[in-house]
Amino acid sequence: MSAANSPAQSAPRQSERTRVLENRPVNLDGFVEEWPEVGMVAMDSPYDPRPSVRVENGVIVEMDGKQRADFDFLDQFIADHAIDVEATERAMALSPVEIAHLLVDPKVSRGEVLAVSCGLTPAALLEVVKTMNVVEMMMALQKMRARRTPANQAHSTSARDNPIQVAADAAEAALRGFRELETTLGVVRYAPLVAIALQVGAQAGKPGALTQCALEEATELELGMRGITAYAETISVYGTEPVFCDGDDTPWSKTFLASAYASRGIKMRFTSGTGSEVQMGYAEGKSMLYLEIRCILVTKGAGVQGLQNGSISCIGVPGAVPAGIRAVLAENLIASTVDLECASGNDQSFSHSDMRRTARLLPQLLPGTDFVCSGYSAVPNYDNMFAGSNLDSEDYDDWNVIQRDLQVDGGLRHVPEAELLAVRNRAARALRGVFAYLDLPPITEKEIEAVTYAHGSNDLPLRDVLEDLKAAQSVMDRGVTGLDIVKGLEAGGFPDIAEALLGVLKQRISGDLLHTSAILTPELTTLSAINDANDYAGPGSGYRPSGERWEEMKRLRHVVSARNPEQELG
Amino acid sequence: MSSVELDPRRDYPLASNRPELLRTPTGKRLDDITMAAVLAGEITAEDLRITPETLRLQAQIADSVGRPQLGQNFRRAAELTALPDEKVLAIYNALRPRAATKQELIDIADDLERGYAATLCARLVREAADVYERRGVLADSGR
Amino acid sequence: MADTTTRVLTLLEKGPAEQGRRTDEVVIGVSPAFGDFFSRTIVDLPHAEVLRELLAGVEEQGVHARVVRVRGSSDLAVIAHTAAKLSGSGIAIGVLSRGTTMIHQKDLVRLSNLELFPQAPLMDLETFRKVGRNAARYAKGESPQPVPSRNDYMARPRWQAKAALLHIKETEFVRAGAAPVELEVLIRMADAG
Repeated sequence: MSAANSPAQSAPRQSERTRVLENRPVNLDGFVEEWPEVGMVAMDSPYDPRPSVRVENGVIVEMDGKQRADFDFLDQFIADHAIDVEATERAMALSPVEIAHLLVDPKVSRGEVLAVSCGLTPAALLEVVKTMNVVEMMMALQKMRARRTPANQAHSTSARDNPIQVAADAAEAALRGFRELETTLGVVRYAPLVAIALQVGAQAGKPGALTQCALEEATELELGMRGITAYAETISVYGTEPVFCDGDDTPWSKTFLASAYASRGIKMRFTSGTGSEVQMGYAEGKSMLYLEIRCILVTKGAGVQGLQNGSISCIGVPGAVPAGIRAVLAENLIASTVDLECASGNDQSFSHSDMRRTARLLPQLLPGTDFVCSGYSAVPNYDNMFAGSNLDSEDYDDWNVIQRDLQVDGGLRHVPEAELLAVRNRAARALRGVFAYLDLPPITEKEIEAVTYAHGSNDLPLRDVLEDLKAAQSVMDRGVTGLDIVKGLEAGGFPDIAEALLGVLKQRISGDLLHTSAILTPELTTLSAINDANDYAGPGSGYRPSGERWEEMKRLRHVVSARNPEQELG
Repeated sequence: MSSVELDPRRDYPLASNRPELLRTPTGKRLDDITMAAVLAGEITAEDLRITPETLRLQAQIADSVGRPQLGQNFRRAAELTALPDEKVLAIYNALRPRAATKQELIDIADDLERGYAATLCARLVREAADVYERRGVLADSGR
Repeated sequence: MADTTTRVLTLLEKGPAEQGRRTDEVVIGVSPAFGDFFSRTIVDLPHAEVLRELLAGVEEQGVHARVVRVRGSSDLAVIAHTAAKLSGSGIAIGVLSRGTTMIHQKDLVRLSNLELFPQAPLMDLETFRKVGRNAARYAKGESPQPVPSRNDYMARPRWQAKAALLHIKETEFVRAGAAPVELEVLIRMADAG
């Protein structure tokens, strides 16, 4: 790439500094002008509605300048299910600045904020965050996050949908501290095998890491019902009627789906994010954030415990317009402000610039969210089948150092290589046992050896894809369930992993995991916004990394020993 | 329905603090779901499901920590425990935009109410039928 | 990089798209503004070349290809599924102006698919040829190895917002409720002289 030949005679002379700047990675990112008429604007559009509400006989008859007869289906759903009719007129009487003060002031409790936020309309929530800068939003987010202890979620995928790789990387991710693991596919038909691999790997790495497989809604539900996956997240909602319909759903179908999951004892959250409507061409001239707030309130109204938001797969859209990343933080804040679990993005490739992707991360990492990343890539980004994440397996050491520098808990830890190799190897062997038990295509010693030391799919032998796909179909046809995986693990000589998986499956019976922001500890106890409620109330309060966790966070790949400076503590 | 009064601070999580309240749909206790029982073939997928009673206990907890929508979701879920998986999927598919006529949705609601005493779910489906009609997202009735 | 040979694409509407009868056909469904308002993909591949490769890929497998324009939606899944329902074999390729492509089958639910190529900036002519080839093989009842999906995770930060602008433009050409039309495809060399 030595494009710096001597310029043609006619070309104007270019500054050497311009040349240097031109070659900086940030200039590979795409930036576009605002275009509010089509919704290409982050959060400040002249076309967004003004807040208003009117209640008659216990029913909202006017919202944000629209009469009930003119409500689209989102308006109606939000007015009837999300907004507390008892609270709304009182809440809406407060000015946006007053409400923003409640959010930022640590002396106002989370509960006091919720008593107001439950009555706010979409336009009112928008006006509130428009008064806030990013530091104020971070202050608010550290109080409004539902669970006291932050956590993190990883992606474990493979460019070749290789189940052995998915199992090994899931095991490593769980050992590094992720409490949720998500996979998806290049070839959708591979899903059953890869979902089994993710589940086995997760429990081999650290018991209680919950797994999901992102698929079309009905298929995702089926894998969940069978106990092959532990929770679901790819239940997308959208901020305008046409885009919701393009996604082949409505607020009512999604509400029913939410109850379907709960009826099987399966945890789930919805997914939404700024930019999806403008990306799909039907933003109806509204700002990205206004439309996202409608998604957040649909989620609330559906009675779903949580939401994955923060633009997610559309991050390149808000990322390209002014104040877009401020709007993304505002999404996370509003989800938390209406008492939803928030898995806060940072899960999609965002920038060519390391500086810029760190800047995009800090607003969630510093205050802490329920899941700082809703998908940190536990594989190198070339293997990430969500089309790359903001962080990947090459950033592990940077992440650990940032946690240690700032004493901020992003949920991960440094793990010595020997432990990683052992757990990767064991996950692959356990998967081999399960495949053998279920009569699926064999996993060879060569594959196990390769995956133990591999960084990505490029380091692995190829599998017979057609045989795998046939086997995947047979998993569905034969009605294989999570219980069969348990038996396979036991039969393969991995009773502890079998026990862990059985423990995860048993969670369905109690339904404890269905509550807001629930995760499982490695001891398989539920930790949620009920028994681990965020109690932040200003300096000296709330979650702060301390004790054993802080000692763990101090460890890095290379730390010079104080006792013997000739040694490093690894 | 549930006569037990729960205190979320003391009783949640139920699996640790009130296991005696929990049963599987086949009447087993949490303690009965052991590896030995799995290997002996005594545990089926049916045992790894939640009962309507448990969902209503969790709904009570959700209400008492100020999450009425979540509680309502659990109550709808309690009703859906009685439906087979295929039926749940079929109703979900019918609720998708332009997938069912108004009459088809009303029939589903009637069936939910009569066949399964699923009054909350029936109400949701009827509400959808009305909104879909007003917003033009029903299937063409002439199909 | 600049290829001096340019081909010109003309798409003539021949009336309503018909339900295919022959089982050895693949239908290619193009988006409302493909080869019309737009003439190139997001990375400037001429639509003439895109269609040429897709057709060649199908035909080299001894399968018949037919091209329709789906006018009622700019949603790739809708376009591909609509085309699949018109296809005598039940197999279709959907392609958007910016290059995003999908192989669909009529009996799958709309949001599922046989193969999806979601990243338009990564679609090169060789990939379009392979997509055509695989669609034809599905039509023959074979189970081909899926076309290796390229995965450039940096496509999003570079291209996504531009893709959104392209999509908004494409969506302006959607005619709600308009039925798909059959297209006659003419690809000729641009006359240099």
